[in-house]
Amino acid sequence: MSFGRRAYVVLWKDVLIECRSKEALNALVFFSLLLLFLFQFALGGDRDHLTAALPGLLWLGFILAGLLALGRSFLIERENDCWEGLLLAPGDKSAIYLGKLAGNLLLMFAVEALVLLLFVVFFNVDVAGVLPALVAVIGLGTVGLAALGTLFAGMTAHVRARELLFPVLVLPLQVPLLLGTVRATEAVLSREGLAAVGHWLALLGAADVIFLVAGFLTFEFILEG
Amino acid sequence: MRRTTIRVLGWLTVLALLLGLVWGFGVAPREVTQGNVQRIMYLHVPSAIVGEYVGFGVLFLASIAYLLTRSERADRLARASAEVAVVLLAITIVSGSIWGKPTWGTWWTWDARLTTVTILFVMGLAYLLLRGMIEDGERAARFGAVLGILAPLNVPLVHFSVYWWRTLHQPPSLLKPGPSMISGDAIKDALYINLAAFVLLYAYLVATRVRLLRREVEALA
Amino acid sequence: MPDNWGYVVAAYAVAAVFLGAYWRYLARRARQLDAYSLRRRRPPSMGHREPRAHVPAP
Repeated sequence: MSFGRRAYVVLWKDVLIECRSKEALNALVFFSLLLLFLFQFALGGDRDHLTAALPGLLWLGFILAGLLALGRSFLIERENDCWEGLLLAPGDKSAIYLGKLAGNLLLMFAVEALVLLLFVVFFNVDVAGVLPALVAVIGLGTVGLAALGTLFAGMTAHVRARELLFPVLVLPLQVPLLLGTVRATEAVLSREGLAAVGHWLALLGAADVIFLVAGFLTFEFILEG
Repeated sequence: MRRTTIRVLGWLTVLALLLGLVWGFGVAPREVTQGNVQRIMYLHVPSAIVGEYVGFGVLFLASIAYLLTRSERADRLARASAEVAVVLLAITIVSGSIWGKPTWGTWWTWDARLTTVTILFVMGLAYLLLRGMIEDGERAARFGAVLGILAPLNVPLVHFSVYWWRTLHQPPSLLKPGPSMISGDAIKDALYINLAAFVLLYAYLVATRVRLLRREVEALA
Repeated sequence: MPDNWGYVVAAYAVAAVFLGAYWRYLARRARQLDAYSLRRRRPPSMGHREPRAHVPAP
């Protein structure tokens, strides 16, 4: 089986399971709605406060949902005694990383689309004309988040108190991505244009490459017996 | 490292630190704008440089070495380096905050260096937490090595992003960090001497820690 | 500008405390190790030897 095929098998399995049970998607949809209320109640009084904070709140929402979604990357294998199956899989283990990453990206994009929609509707975010740029920024940021999250999810799969350790590992490394995406989102939403934040986009791109390459190269060390 | 070598290193460290204190307080002049408070720099900057670059640098290299060779020595070095780096970065953060109070008026300001050092500190803590929470020694070493590679790779990203975040969000007048006024040879000399002292301190503490880790493994064997 | 020596002393004192605490932590572990390996090297005690009364078999 080729590398791509093995990755695809992992992806297809996860997608199929998720489509049948809709477990993660339902919970994350509900969580997104709750986030909306949280942000509104915490900041909602002053219209201007909220508007100024919107790019940051958007990414806070993405990251919080991402921590939940990515943290369960290997849940099905762990809970159904299939971990050994992963360990014994032939060939390059990074194919599993790619498959899991792809699945996580699909899930993240779905949730982010929903959160963005909720923001547009409830917080009156005007995305007319800037949607492609916004999608590009969200894409850049999500790839880095998912790359880190998938790697650390594999690492913490068998650690006790994994719910505590997972955010502790992901969030500090996430800081440059957070700074970059919020600033870029700000530029897009305030119609400054992406050219104004070219250096941030370059940073995001570099971060994505670094995290992806590191993830690919080190994942097999995580899946060793 | 042999025991006597470590002892010698320890005494050299004490000597160097004393020399640094003498130079920092005796030889270096009173700074013009800030007054004597500026002397905190001889503590703050060396601990930042050694913790950030030497500590994380060694962590990075030792982690790669471990994954490639599975040498337990590399793993012990990585772990010791992370520990000492965390201690040094804690010193950096607190001394930076104390320095900031009389010079900037607040205990904390999100200036580029303090913020960067704090993020590094948290990453180091995450590393130690990860290693502490995994019972199996071999797995802890392996996972630690992966994080020990990723965290230092993140350092340049953190540097740039935090610096851009500060300079493009605040008017430059608020950017009054420490040693932008490194003028005068005496001040520079004091800084270099203290820097060398802190490198020795780092080496001594890491050597001691590595030896302790080795003895623990041998004792439990 | 006032000299603020208090702050200087505070900063150096905190550094000394952190370094000292780490040093004590290392020293304590070393002492525990010494005690542990000393216990292991001591020959194991033979346990109680109860005085056996010689009871001839019936």
